[in-house]
Amino acid sequence: MAVNLTDLSLPQLEGLKTQLDQEIEFLTSSIGQLKVAQTKYVEAKDSLNVLNKNNKGKELLVPLTSSMYVPGTLNDVETCLVDVGTGYYVEKSVEDSKAFFKRKIDFLTKQIVEKIQPALQEKHAMKQAVVEVMNVKIQQLQQSQQSSQMVGTTSA
Amino acid sequence: MAEAIQKKLQAEVEKYTLMQKDVSKSMAARQKLETQLTDNNIVKEELGLLNSTNTVYKLIGPVLVKQDLDEAKATVSKRLEYINGEIQRYEAILKDMEKKSEQHRELLSSLQQEYQKAQGLAVGKV
Repeated sequence: MAVNLTDLSLPQLEGLKTQLDQEIEFLTSSIGQLKVAQTKYVEAKDSLNVLNKNNKGKELLVPLTSSMYVPGTLNDVETCLVDVGTGYYVEKSVEDSKAFFKRKIDFLTKQIVEKIQPALQEKHAMKQAVVEVMNVKIQQLQQSQQSSQMVGTTSA
Repeated sequence: MAEAIQKKLQAEVEKYTLMQKDVSKSMAARQKLETQLTDNNIVKEELGLLNSTNTVYKLIGPVLVKQDLDEAKATVSKRLEYINGEIQRYEAILKDMEKKSEQHRELLSSLQQEYQKAQGLAVGKV
């Protein structure tokens, strides 16, 4: 940054702080959203464990609506249908699907750890610096006010 | 004199606010395209990992329709091309708007100075 923080006026610093607060909030909520997405993938990956040879032919209840189930048998334990995005679904083997979810989970972890968290830390550090400069300025202002008052009382 | 300038100033400020609204609208549209670009890039990557043993379905309304892998790849590539084109288009529009707002800002500040001067003159006369 080319601008020296101490050169800025109090209102400007205040504005900068608000902006940084907004950015921090945005990044924090992004992390939250990514974590939610990640949990979904973890759950999906875990539920794939049910699709194994031991469970083939077993009976299960299929939810037709959220309140109605019909009996069925587990016929296919080799493949499942995975949503890869923008309306495309791909039939994959269970192993491939697990690999797919692992890829997604790793991708999200990478985004959080490598991109958002460093940015968030940087913003936090910047905010800290701004707040410190603001405190110094406020103190200076108070001191100058006090001394001018003293001058006022002595002269009166 | 001061009143006429004030009126003009107000009109220009209004125009400027409208312009800023357009800018933020275009920004939002661009942002949306960016999201679509990432989405489609991810899909492209996934489709690239598949082979002919995988079956691809496309969700059309509530129905899954079987689709050829190559066809799906072609569709996604075409979409990416289109989105990239749109992003470039918006980039150009935004640049143009930026320039216009800059000019408008200058106009506004000069008008403001004029107005202040005119006001000062009016007060001086009284």
